[in-house]
Amino acid sequence: MPEVRATRDPQAPFEPHTYKDPSLVADLQRRIGELALEIGRPVKLMHICGTHEHEMGRYALRDLLPTSVDVLAGPGCPVCVCDNEYINMAIQLSLRPNTILTSFGDMLAVPGSIPLEGERRGDVRMSLLDARARGGDVRAVYSVFDAKRIAEQNPDKQVVFFSVGFETTVVAVAAMLKRGVPDNLSVIEANYYTPPATRLLPTLDGFDIEGFILPGHAVTITGLRVYEELPALGIACASGGFEPVDVLASVASLLEQVRDGAPTVSNPYQRLVKYDGNERAKAELDEVFELAPIRWRGIAEIPFSGYKLRESYWHASAARRFAGQLDEVALRGAEHPKGCRCAEVTLGQIRPDECGVFGTLCTPDSPYGPCMVSHEGTCRAWYTYGMHKEQLRVETV
Amino acid sequence: MSKPSEDTLIAERPVGASRYDTVRLSHGSGGKLTLELIEELFVATFSNEPLKELTDAAILHNPGGRIAFATDSHTVKPAFFPGGDIGRLAVAGTVNDLAVMGATPLYMSAAFLLEEGYDMDELARVVRSMKVTADEAGVSIVAGDTKVLERGHGDGIFINTTGIGFLPDDVQMGVAFVRPGDKVLVNGTLGDHGIAVMSRREGLDLAVDLTSDVAPLNGLIAAVRAVAPNVRFMRDVTRGGLAAVANEVVHRQAFGLRVFDVAVPVNEIVEEYSEMLGIDPLLAANEGKVMMIVAPDEAEAALGAMKAHPFGREAAIIGDIVVKPEGVALVETAYGSRRVLEMPIEEQLPRIC
Repeated sequence: MPEVRATRDPQAPFEPHTYKDPSLVADLQRRIGELALEIGRPVKLMHICGTHEHEMGRYALRDLLPTSVDVLAGPGCPVCVCDNEYINMAIQLSLRPNTILTSFGDMLAVPGSIPLEGERRGDVRMSLLDARARGGDVRAVYSVFDAKRIAEQNPDKQVVFFSVGFETTVVAVAAMLKRGVPDNLSVIEANYYTPPATRLLPTLDGFDIEGFILPGHAVTITGLRVYEELPALGIACASGGFEPVDVLASVASLLEQVRDGAPTVSNPYQRLVKYDGNERAKAELDEVFELAPIRWRGIAEIPFSGYKLRESYWHASAARRFAGQLDEVALRGAEHPKGCRCAEVTLGQIRPDECGVFGTLCTPDSPYGPCMVSHEGTCRAWYTYGMHKEQLRVETV
Repeated sequence: MSKPSEDTLIAERPVGASRYDTVRLSHGSGGKLTLELIEELFVATFSNEPLKELTDAAILHNPGGRIAFATDSHTVKPAFFPGGDIGRLAVAGTVNDLAVMGATPLYMSAAFLLEEGYDMDELARVVRSMKVTADEAGVSIVAGDTKVLERGHGDGIFINTTGIGFLPDDVQMGVAFVRPGDKVLVNGTLGDHGIAVMSRREGLDLAVDLTSDVAPLNGLIAAVRAVAPNVRFMRDVTRGGLAAVANEVVHRQAFGLRVFDVAVPVNEIVEEYSEMLGIDPLLAANEGKVMMIVAPDEAEAALGAMKAHPFGREAAIIGDIVVKPEGVALVETAYGSRRVLEMPIEEQLPRIC
């Protein structure tokens, strides 16, 4: 691995190793240090993508930042913001006879709000894995097209795809629906659109974030124009790729905006992100989905932040197809179990280790709240990469 | 010492048992068909004196020293994967368990749980692959058992192997011998088996040109120990990857294990697919890798011996044992930042995005 990196030309564009290059990282680290000194006070920034938190942990990027610069995790984990209602719906449908529930693997262990009978660990709620253990036909898939294939192979069964995700994943669902799906396939519409949530955050009490690292994958689809309102609210914005060089370049760009007192929307991730996004993807999305209010788990119902099927695609909506067959009461329920502070973690209001159950009652092998389940979840990333542990000082002989 | 090629395994028409295309319940009932299967397939293929006797127990020669004894059951989907199959896996797995203890593996038993209807040619391929791997490792498969499960009550084929090795009285290895300053070595690229198998598993057709590393490592281990007699600790790196082994070593110990990210050998294809699928090669499965902790003054010699062996060409010194933090396995990145290398919790699965 080191040999491979050393022999590649650091100037070559679109070469993933370039964006891991230690000398480029060192340059950016220096630049960030200079900017922090020039600013001369603490600055809080936020990213809004689970993959960013994952990469922050994997490369221990917070270690490389000056103590006055903090990068917090915002509501960027699709698994974590997915409302209970959809998880409960998926669980109920999976337990329906002759029904196959397909889902990304990440969603399977996330508890909804249906209590798990006979459980002694405390206030534990049922997940799709629990449903499977109780006889539900729950299958992990890697893409929506796997769900389509399963539907084609099982014409006598209802196949439901649990469509969870942000802008990036919903594009694939739109593309599939537009090209036609078997009659026995339907989707649970749990797709989230980020910009309205980013506009909600600054209205919250105690909000002191000065800049957003925008989610690189999502803005590849939507473009940056949809974030134009944020600088007017005093928030600096920069698109953010996912390699160490990308993340640090975004941090540097945000610090420049903060130093100059001139927030804008910059595009350090310009090798993939266009100001107007991906026109073809946006057109397909618009044809199949429309923006509607949706509840973000533990946060609020946010207007125009959910992708819901347009009327011409209602035939593929699981909520409509199975309306009347679901236990409406069970669909609703307390957002998070008692003691779980996922909502505050998701909003960047507390660090995962400030939650009382983090690492004790709530661990990846026995998750209590959604942020500990998904690899995109902030608590999971903190636990996995030991970000809650004191800086790892090494002593050798 | 080279891997058997698929061709040699397929080309040869299975010995015997060919009256039936598939496994019948009667092949496990202890009657005529069972005897036929044992004699014409297992005894004929594994071909050694203790087995030919067809006694209730194999009588083995004891070359002296302590006995190392290990068992492992194997199930893998698919049973044939790029670079190997369940037969090679079953033999290599038990051989490696014995070899990392410092033992010389000599004898092995093989118990088959077959599902009614299992393809007889495929069974013969598996058995031949076991023979090839056993020969490669210098072990004899001297005892066995076959049971047939009703259709629907098994998953094609399960194999249990139990192995016996001999361990000279002066061999002393274990976590208790590990000291700060010791070096951590692996014999090659990590994660090959995990990604190769995942690439062929139903539903995830990655068309990856990558083979599993499954191999018996006793030869490589003997070569290293010849030049580095003070190897402190060895463990085969299998499910859970290097992360699991590293954590097992430091658990409740007064030292830490540091891995230098950039020193870890990772096949380029594995690296790319890991990035794409959100999988960490340090957590991905291997079937032909050993992690060794070696005294600092013997590390280079051990590395040289590994690299000279066919199963160790890409060996590397990937880290060291540190005084602090105690009880922690950590990764030092190319940038000098550090993170915890956590014990894996679940099987590695691709993420949403």
